[in-house]
Amino acid sequence: MKRKFDHSAPSESALTGPRYWRSLDELTATPGFQQHLAREFPEGASTLDGVDRRSFMKLMAASFALGGLGLAGCRRPEKNILPFGKSIEGVIPGLPQYFATAMPLRKSAIPLLAETHQGRPTKLEGNPTYAPHGGASSLLAQASVLDLYDPERATVNTSKGDVLSAAAANDLLAGVGKTYAAVQGAGLAFLAEQSSSPTRARLVDQLRAKFPKAVWSEYEPVSDEPPAAAARAVFGAAVKPIYRFAKAERIVSLDADFLSAESGSLYYAREFAKGRRVTKKEDPMNRLYVAESALTLTGSMADHRLRLASSHIYSFAAALAGKITGDAVYARVAEGLDIKPEWIAECAADLAAHKGTSLVVAGAHQPAAVHAIAYAINASLGNIGRTVDFVEVAADESVSISDLAKAITANSVKTLVVLGGNPAYNAPAELNWPALQKSVGEVIRFGYHSDETSALAGTHLAAAHYLESWGDARTADGVVVPVQPMILPLFGGITEIETLARILGLPKTDGYSLVFDTVTALGGGDSAKTFRRFLHDGLLANSAYPIVSVNLSGRGLAQVLGSVAPAVGALSKANLEVRFVTDHTMDDGRFANNGWLQECPDPITKISWDNAILVSPRLGKELGIEPKGSLIQVARKEEADFTQGAENAHVFTLTVGGRTVRGPVHIQPGLSNYTAVVALGYGRTKSGHVGTGAGFSAYAVRTAQAPAFVTGATLVTTGTRMKLANTQEHWSMEGRDLIREANYSEYKENPDYVREMGIESHAPSNLGKVGEAMTPAQRATEIPRGGSLYETPKFDGVHQWGMSIDLNTCIGCNACVVACQAENNIPIVGKDQVMRGREMHWIRLDRYYSDGKADGRAMADLFGGEPSGNSILPEDPQISLQPIACAQCELAPCEIVCPVNATVHDDEGLNTMAYNRCIGTRYCANNCPYKVRRFNFFDYNLRPLDSLYLGQLAPKGMPELVKMVKNPEVTVRMRGVMEKCTYCVQRIQNGKIQHKVKTAQAGRPSDVVVPDGVIKTACQQVCPVESIVFGNILDPKSEVSVAKAREQDYALLGYLNIRPRTTYLGKLRNPNSKMPDYAALPLSRIEYNNKNHSGDHSSSHGEKPEKPAKQSGGHSSVLPSNHSGGLS
Amino acid sequence: MSKIFPKSANSLPLQIIIYLVVLTGIATAGVTYYMTPKYTRIGYAPVQPVPFSHEKHVSELGMDCRFCHSNVEKSGHSNVPTSQTCMNCHNQIKTNSPLLAPVRESYASGDSVPWVWIHKTPDYAYFNHAAHVNRGVSCVECHGKINEMEVVAHNQSLSMAFCLECHRNPETRVRDPKDVYDLNSQTIAAKAGVEAGEKFVHDWKIKPPQSCSGCHR
Repeated sequence: MKRKFDHSAPSESALTGPRYWRSLDELTATPGFQQHLAREFPEGASTLDGVDRRSFMKLMAASFALGGLGLAGCRRPEKNILPFGKSIEGVIPGLPQYFATAMPLRKSAIPLLAETHQGRPTKLEGNPTYAPHGGASSLLAQASVLDLYDPERATVNTSKGDVLSAAAANDLLAGVGKTYAAVQGAGLAFLAEQSSSPTRARLVDQLRAKFPKAVWSEYEPVSDEPPAAAARAVFGAAVKPIYRFAKAERIVSLDADFLSAESGSLYYAREFAKGRRVTKKEDPMNRLYVAESALTLTGSMADHRLRLASSHIYSFAAALAGKITGDAVYARVAEGLDIKPEWIAECAADLAAHKGTSLVVAGAHQPAAVHAIAYAINASLGNIGRTVDFVEVAADESVSISDLAKAITANSVKTLVVLGGNPAYNAPAELNWPALQKSVGEVIRFGYHSDETSALAGTHLAAAHYLESWGDARTADGVVVPVQPMILPLFGGITEIETLARILGLPKTDGYSLVFDTVTALGGGDSAKTFRRFLHDGLLANSAYPIVSVNLSGRGLAQVLGSVAPAVGALSKANLEVRFVTDHTMDDGRFANNGWLQECPDPITKISWDNAILVSPRLGKELGIEPKGSLIQVARKEEADFTQGAENAHVFTLTVGGRTVRGPVHIQPGLSNYTAVVALGYGRTKSGHVGTGAGFSAYAVRTAQAPAFVTGATLVTTGTRMKLANTQEHWSMEGRDLIREANYSEYKENPDYVREMGIESHAPSNLGKVGEAMTPAQRATEIPRGGSLYETPKFDGVHQWGMSIDLNTCIGCNACVVACQAENNIPIVGKDQVMRGREMHWIRLDRYYSDGKADGRAMADLFGGEPSGNSILPEDPQISLQPIACAQCELAPCEIVCPVNATVHDDEGLNTMAYNRCIGTRYCANNCPYKVRRFNFFDYNLRPLDSLYLGQLAPKGMPELVKMVKNPEVTVRMRGVMEKCTYCVQRIQNGKIQHKVKTAQAGRPSDVVVPDGVIKTACQQVCPVESIVFGNILDPKSEVSVAKAREQDYALLGYLNIRPRTTYLGKLRNPNSKMPDYAALPLSRIEYNNKNHSGDHSSSHGEKPEKPAKQSGGHSSVLPSNHSGGLS
Repeated sequence: MSKIFPKSANSLPLQIIIYLVVLTGIATAGVTYYMTPKYTRIGYAPVQPVPFSHEKHVSELGMDCRFCHSNVEKSGHSNVPTSQTCMNCHNQIKTNSPLLAPVRESYASGDSVPWVWIHKTPDYAYFNHAAHVNRGVSCVECHGKINEMEVVAHNQSLSMAFCLECHRNPETRVRDPKDVYDLNSQTIAAKAGVEAGEKFVHDWKIKPPQSCSGCHR
């Protein structure tokens, strides 16, 4: 059962800081001093009364000096240990406690385990009991713990400017309920967010029963689930699809970003990775076809990617369906689609050859008709019940926000209760919601921040964060999970279900009782036992949505197709499509004041603290904003005009449907030619000092008729520029072997392909012949061909830590970046410092585009030759992603250059950092070839980010609330010291200690080796695709040893002989050789060959199958044919 | 050139150098002696809000360390007991003593008794009690003979040099695990010689970290 902690405010006597004597009177008043006096000078104590200050000083001078007053300045400040008054069962100071909870988001939730230190949550992990996620969690879940400690959250209830006490707020809600009970709710309206909570659903049913005339409206600005209308039309049932990617060998995504943006993406990513992971050449590998307009993470994993405007996906889906099913009903819709017919023909053939093991997924934002077609294709291929299951969900009876707006305009709403959300910021633009909301007589807004909606509401009730609330939710597949409070509401906030219960006037309004009643009713059995198990496990067994069998109705399908016309009109600069995407870190704008998410760069654009209007390189050229060229010494075209490290973007106005918005434009390779992609969630006007003013709001031009994409837009330059914080200028690997890729077919013939790349393949091994044959464990302990200038450390620890990152499965979700930040107390630095390259992330994700054109003729155009390969921005690149953190090199170049020996190697292979010894020379960062060392240029933890340059004159001190998120197991670093990934040394040490304590107490004290899988680094624990594997390389059976033994294992920049402990597994692509855009080699590999093997000198490489045709510089036949004819 | 300086000025540079060297020597010696943890910390015996005597409770009454410091075997912190632990006995013994008033008030109200923190390492150094007491390192090695102290005093310097002294030579400082909480017991080396200590270290695979990662996180 959940412990009830009492966190009442500390009283006077509980000291919170050093206690200095301010005056002699104060000193003499304390009981301690009296005793001291009595012990030392019994006669002095008795003569104290009635003595004047001078004699007192004379008497006491000596004892003062010795007792600490005289030398108090030299003594350390007196600190206190403050144990509890009454012991708390189960609390062991120093050990964290873990409780199961869940983070709800729209109609699903992520089950979590919250790690709490001293009663407050500091880190969230996925709940491993929920098998589909396997203990992983998402980027947003990792960052949500910071939201709990947001100093700008609403801390008081307000009503018309005055503070409302909790009791008064309760009375207000009860009053609303009583008033409207009499009129059956006429005039009462609710606008709520979507929720999967069974308790809320139960309360809403009661609300509908008690207030039948009230309006219950739900609004979410972004959709992550397929529209219910599609299933209703073709299946006649309220069902939604759950995809089983692990069983699918051929997957087609119709503008669906199922790896990161859709509901259930954690599960889908994990399952997709199971099909993607290839550990030996007999393993099968799935194939992904993607048709999309924006460049999403799913698109970056695609084996074949078609750039297609979102509005043309409907026609594309129909064409594909027509080819697969042969049904003539699609022909009309597929007319006018301007792409290579072979693309569709071959894709259809591939799907048809995999009946029952293929899958077609449509993006949630696509209209119902597209989903209907996807369901039909899946049905025709026999996928239903195999790679896709349909589960029964409750039908949604809520009213849309547009209908609510109509009701408000018709003056039928007297009281509006806004539960969460932020309609004043993100409601469809044509509704002009701020005016509507102001026109309602009484507006009660229940919200977490004092935001745009609260500013227009009469009453604001401070909400509690989910980490301090009782509640429940359902995961994407329907399993009921608890939302447990980790701490009493810090500011006395209430929850949504409590609010509804009070309006209903229920006898029990506390969250715990409400959830208890719901869950015990669902779970059955002994209620106390059921509930306790529910809280312990973090889920309710057997509560998932039931899988039902469905039958496709041809008539329903024909009806849907007939009612929606295909998009007409070619897109061009004067007729652009605008695609509104949910931002990867901001979501729909709710996380605007979360510094970790603002600073986490977008995985594809690499821009932080801002959003931009993304345009394709072709459109960029037509708009005249192509970067003017590059520095002479740079062998590639810059992706933007960079000045002093910051991207200097052109500011444009985007006009669509008569509405305009202004924003910087960023050229993004891989976009559909005439689609402008805009991320939602920025441009908040009332969000706290982190979120306000970051980016621009795309909601201003978005309407309810076209919430995801709309055509008829134009971009007009304003002539001004604006700096963007772009964290990665390099977009090209320039023919280097940073990410070693091969096609799956080549891998099957030649699993050792990574050995043929890089300088290591041309030069004698750094390890010598003997060393080459050793296992990683042997290499670590025997250090073959050490011969370095300094004494290499003896690796005689009982563990040797190593890590392997599988580039084949990494999807680039950036969850590892924020997990590391949460675990290791990494500060944020603000936009200005990010523009100077000073972001503090210990692990970063590098993203590269390859178009197969980079070659060794850099600067050829300077001398009148044909432009060299990287002198144009790629329109249709392949994307490669690589997470890089400190690789804990065995022969680390950073250790030998530290003048004060602050960074040394330990006997278990870690490159350690002693922060207190570091003097800030930064030579180590200079010497690091991976550039993973981060320097604290300013006191980011102590001084506000807007006055860093004032140094010591800036206001001092982090708000107490923000301090609470820090992990007490890790040092909080100050200005002037270097930091970097430590393989989560705190977890390693704690793991080792706990293991030793356990075995010592069990009588087996010599068992000191920690079993594999017990110690997990933060990045490993959060990774949904299990791409990061960490463990003991001395153990040949550990996961990491097995990964390093795979043939695709290689070290980044291995030729430098620094022997990194983090190695990578090469990436594989699985293209279909019959497709028109087939390339016999991955494009980055072609670039590598161009750069390194130009001319004929490959005779020394021997005969290998699938070798590329000899390059003579320039474009060879292995390059994909130009597909600029794609519909744009 | 007129004579500006008297002849005795010739020896001035040498005098200045000698004085500087002597001064530096004194300053260095002063700093080395006075400004190290060995001088500044050892002997620190602050006045506590309640005059708890370990001598009475441990030596006279025979309480085990773990009765109060109950989590020392499980956690990195060796917890100072809550007032409830004190009240377990003191609700029957010395129930009206004015010296125990802070404890009774704390138990009644839930506020903490503001004990003064004596053994404190810097925030960036992480010491873990459980790893030590479960593996043969007794309380007395770092805290001295607490069982004989009326007032707890800082007994050892607890500087990094002090820690490394034992970490480099654990064989002389370990004792039988059942003697860890007996502060009058002897180390294995004292009882049976250094070889016995070395055998214990070998059998238990005691490898105290000597690298920074052991304590600096």
